[in-house]
Amino acid sequence: MLTFMTKQDFHKPTTVEDAVTLLKEAGEDARPISGGATLVALMNARLVQPSRLVSLSAIEELTQCTHQPDGSVRIGAMRRHRQTAFESDLKAAHQVVSGAASQIANPPVRNMGTIGGSISFADPAADYPPSLVAANAEIEIAGPEGRRCIPAEDFFLGWYETALEPGEIVTAVILPPVPASSIGQYEKLCRIAGDFALASIAMTIDFDASNTVSTLRLAVGGCGGGPVRVEAAEDALIGTKLETDAIAAAAELLVAELDPVDDVRGSAEYRLKVVPRLLQRAFNNLINIREPAQ
Amino acid sequence: MSQPVTLTVNGKANEVSCGATTTLLTVLRDTLALTGSKRGCNQGVCGACTVLVDGAPMRACLTLAVNTEGQSITTIEGLPEGGDLKPIQQAIIDSDAVQCGFCTSGMILTAHEFLQRNSNPSIDDIRTALSGNICRCSGYRKIVDAVALAASRGGA
Amino acid sequence: MDGLEFNGVGSSPHRLEIMEKVTGAAEYIADLSRPNMLHAAITQSTVAHAKILGYDLSDALSVPGVVCILTGEDFPDGRMGAFIKDEHAIAKDKIRYFGEPVAVVAAETEGIAREAAKRVIVKYEELPAILSPEEGLAEGAAIIHEELDDYIKVFPAISSGNMASYTELNEGDLEAGFAQADLIVEGTYETAPQAHLAIEPCGALADIDKQGRVTLWSANQSVFRVQANVCESLKMPMGKLRCLTPRVGGGFGNKMEPHIQPLVVQMCQATKRPVKMILNREEDFECVRARHPFKVRCKTGVKKDGTIVAREVEVLLDCGAFGDDSPGVLGYSLLMCLGPYRIPNSKAHGKLVYTNKLRFGAFRGFGNPQVAFAGETQLDQIAEKLGMDPLDLRQKNLIQPGDPWFGGGKVASNGLQECVDKARAASDWDNRKSRTAPKGKRRGTGVALAAHISGLLGTGAIIRVFEDGSVALNTGAVDIGQGSDTVLSQMCAEALKIPLEKVSLASPDTDGSPYNWGTTASRVTYTTGRAVVGAAAEVEKQLKEHAAQMLECSEMDLELRPGGIVGVSGSDKEVSFHQISLRAHWAAGGPIVGHHTWVFNQPTVDPKRAVCSGIPFPQVGVFSFGCLIVDTLTDEASGKTEVVEAWSAVDVGRAINPSSVEGQIVGGFVQGMGFALTEEMVWDGPKLANPTLLDYKVPTTLDTPYNIHSIIVEAAEPDGPFGAKGAGEIGLVPVPAAIANAIADAIGGHVHSLPMKPEKVLNKMLEIEDAT
Repeated sequence: MLTFMTKQDFHKPTTVEDAVTLLKEAGEDARPISGGATLVALMNARLVQPSRLVSLSAIEELTQCTHQPDGSVRIGAMRRHRQTAFESDLKAAHQVVSGAASQIANPPVRNMGTIGGSISFADPAADYPPSLVAANAEIEIAGPEGRRCIPAEDFFLGWYETALEPGEIVTAVILPPVPASSIGQYEKLCRIAGDFALASIAMTIDFDASNTVSTLRLAVGGCGGGPVRVEAAEDALIGTKLETDAIAAAAELLVAELDPVDDVRGSAEYRLKVVPRLLQRAFNNLINIREPAQ
Repeated sequence: MSQPVTLTVNGKANEVSCGATTTLLTVLRDTLALTGSKRGCNQGVCGACTVLVDGAPMRACLTLAVNTEGQSITTIEGLPEGGDLKPIQQAIIDSDAVQCGFCTSGMILTAHEFLQRNSNPSIDDIRTALSGNICRCSGYRKIVDAVALAASRGGA
Repeated sequence: MDGLEFNGVGSSPHRLEIMEKVTGAAEYIADLSRPNMLHAAITQSTVAHAKILGYDLSDALSVPGVVCILTGEDFPDGRMGAFIKDEHAIAKDKIRYFGEPVAVVAAETEGIAREAAKRVIVKYEELPAILSPEEGLAEGAAIIHEELDDYIKVFPAISSGNMASYTELNEGDLEAGFAQADLIVEGTYETAPQAHLAIEPCGALADIDKQGRVTLWSANQSVFRVQANVCESLKMPMGKLRCLTPRVGGGFGNKMEPHIQPLVVQMCQATKRPVKMILNREEDFECVRARHPFKVRCKTGVKKDGTIVAREVEVLLDCGAFGDDSPGVLGYSLLMCLGPYRIPNSKAHGKLVYTNKLRFGAFRGFGNPQVAFAGETQLDQIAEKLGMDPLDLRQKNLIQPGDPWFGGGKVASNGLQECVDKARAASDWDNRKSRTAPKGKRRGTGVALAAHISGLLGTGAIIRVFEDGSVALNTGAVDIGQGSDTVLSQMCAEALKIPLEKVSLASPDTDGSPYNWGTTASRVTYTTGRAVVGAAAEVEKQLKEHAAQMLECSEMDLELRPGGIVGVSGSDKEVSFHQISLRAHWAAGGPIVGHHTWVFNQPTVDPKRAVCSGIPFPQVGVFSFGCLIVDTLTDEASGKTEVVEAWSAVDVGRAINPSSVEGQIVGGFVQGMGFALTEEMVWDGPKLANPTLLDYKVPTTLDTPYNIHSIIVEAAEPDGPFGAKGAGEIGLVPVPAAIANAIADAIGGHVHSLPMKPEKVLNKMLEIEDAT
């Protein structure tokens, strides 16, 4: 028979408020659990031994993805990667997020993992963080003090660290309205299919009538403690027609801010070398995508 | 502390005693003696423990047993209907798509669910669908062929 | 008779055990249990090299449910080892690698055992850790095995200090050979450690009877090696231990020599209760074994016309903490380092050096893929310099039928030319330059040739005829998933001209099976197959003795007829196996049992041809050949390479079960592709940095080409069973080399180290760009 040595309890509330209360009661060792893809793996490895588990899977609100009248999209924290990858509401620049979702791990794991769980763990090589920064997403958080929203850029603080305070959970990711002409793209380099990124590039971009870049947000994953966005690099490309020199100049500004480390996936040196090349290719692909349409 | 949980596995309700952090894989193997689901990595990577939860393929090693109450779980032992093999099982046999067999249960359940959604998949569709199940023996070719064979026979 | 109709030789019946594998009913070690069973877990060392000063077990023993804890102090001073007996069952007095088992805990549940194992405290006095062969050979280096000189060695080992063994082979006159050369190319090539990663982790279960006799089930490749290793390390009489096997979830070399079996047996004897232990994935990575990292210096001299006149190969092997199969890997890699070519003047030499790392050991290919990577890469570099087609250069130097192998060993069958011709034609090699690449990618085509052996050591088979005329086949060979149960049964069916379903296969059992060294060295089809054929001949002889008396004729006039019948040639007089067996059981002569045992005895070295020292295998095996061509795409932005298509022609003598041979070729290809492109065990100081499937990456379906073409070539081995020789490893051997040559074809330069991950390829591309 099974025996257990640590006192643990498991709860499955049906409202966000109840979940927050349950987490608050139990203090720091309480953990919310969404899909389980990350937390259970950590528990299996005995790296985490929670005193209380609060399942979010029965909270209806978290499982919805809604297209708001203003054009924004609210993705509930419990949306599975597979749902987000195939989300028909994600169009134009929002596809940077569905593109990222479609490249996480593999089909069965995409069935389990959730957007809220993934970003709360904040693996710097995960796919959502750069894509949400590029999408200028807001993260909706619920805690003992109520709800708040913060920009994705301010949510990811560094190596597995987020702006979540003790007792807080992510409830949704909100993607702002985007023009129909905008494009979202997520490019990932990994050792084998389904691995975490060696490096990834997420971008949302739009062009004016003269084919000049009018807006651009660019974020790099896997090259530091969190997604890296460099406004100066974006500025170097806004107003250009993505000439090779302009991309090279932007890449130089971007690379200067990357802070990768050597790990089993690759060396820091390689990442610094490959990001400008991936960037160049990403823009080349973009030009290829747009040209046939014109 | 252990708590009684009712799990519906292969159509049968079972009351089991299990802790909050006990995985579905542990309950299936150790409590219910359904050892067809294999533990290869306990991290959700290898796919040998794949089972269907409400029809969707999930890693039993990353699923908390208590969190599956009220859901319907299908393991390899519950796949044949009335003793008859499912088309994917027969296709695996006919394609000689088994070597050591350790990945086979997970492969079959993943492929079975995929074929229910895709009756006419391309080879690349199949490769994508199976990309979360590692086989170290076969080089995958005969497994991919087996899924294509099952599809061509119109079954899942 | 029609062998195909009876699922005999040359047909591809489904696996005997297929139904249990597709329904989840197949039982592997983790699926077994015994009444009143304890669960065990190990405590692993947290240092790489240290003296053990003592243990504090109080905290661990205080965990409710803990039954027994054993440390090195509780184990006898027996040492095991395939070549050098240098290894205790558990760390005793000394730690030799990070992660080495230092204590075993048995408890009522696995969870309790694991929790308590974490609480075992070991007091160490740390010693300097030796983490590379170079450090091990350095003057004044800390010595890892102080008693090396006193260890029992089963071959004429040349060893001293941290050098576990030195091996050398010489043929011809090396200096004179290089003096004739118009071009000499020299390079160093390195390979990374690869994990076997059988999806089933290692495990064992032991039970003890009232007489104190232990029965041991385990994930293994040889019940006989398990028995020998446990008994040597625990100083047990062999008769006190019976070894059995459940289904095995893949091996690839990892389960040939022992893992935790001695620990489980000792715990079972200590507690007098059944004990089961299953390693988790991290432990399986950290404390079993892995493929050797090689450093190879290769120097080849050629004439302007491409004729190779001399080669020198020097290798340096990291042995890890224990000898295990390493001396064999060293010797075998040197024996194979010329590749399947005529090279008249050659020298191969190398050192195997102990380090404070996980032991390295047998892994599909056994050192051959590493030296093939060096040798075959270098041939392409020579072809470039000579302006020759790489395949034409190889063709010019192919070992020819009748030529001996390096060292002078006999090569009886040789289908290499047919492999080359068929792979060349199937891949449209001569038009390869017309293939185009998508934008942003570079296309490459590469070739590599290979040879490998099947053979080694002792084997047997017993066939008993049941009263109903069907037969039981007992060989002791463990089917690790490759399909040998089916193949051996097919051979038995063919030899006796009976349908496959009339053969029932006994599970390996050290009590009742004839000796079988193991499922390794591509040997089961060839060596055990020969034993099966020999045993069947003995059965046939006995059947005919009975039939001659029953039919009142001469044995000379009798023939086996399809379906289990002995008949008189040219007549319709006949008796069935059933009738004969009834007579044998109840009336005359005694039950029919045929057996045959043999040991591979063809010398590796001909002393008239070669001067050799430190050879671990005096009698190695017969030769299989292969030619592999691959087509790749390399991404210009990242350097990442994917294999698009592969054509693997392999000479297996005779394909007993063609579908299983394809399984070996394709499976070997993909495992070799992982070795070539992505797989690498990385150490962070003394600790393995990536002992998980999240961090150690093997190819998935999406990383694997669908079009891997198996081309079976059948150059019959004269003494092989039905002409068969091994197929298990040959398909893997040329893979890294062929992919390396394809990448070089794509980017214009060779990467000299495995894995050829994006970083190395990109750096090479940039280096070439800078140079032009």
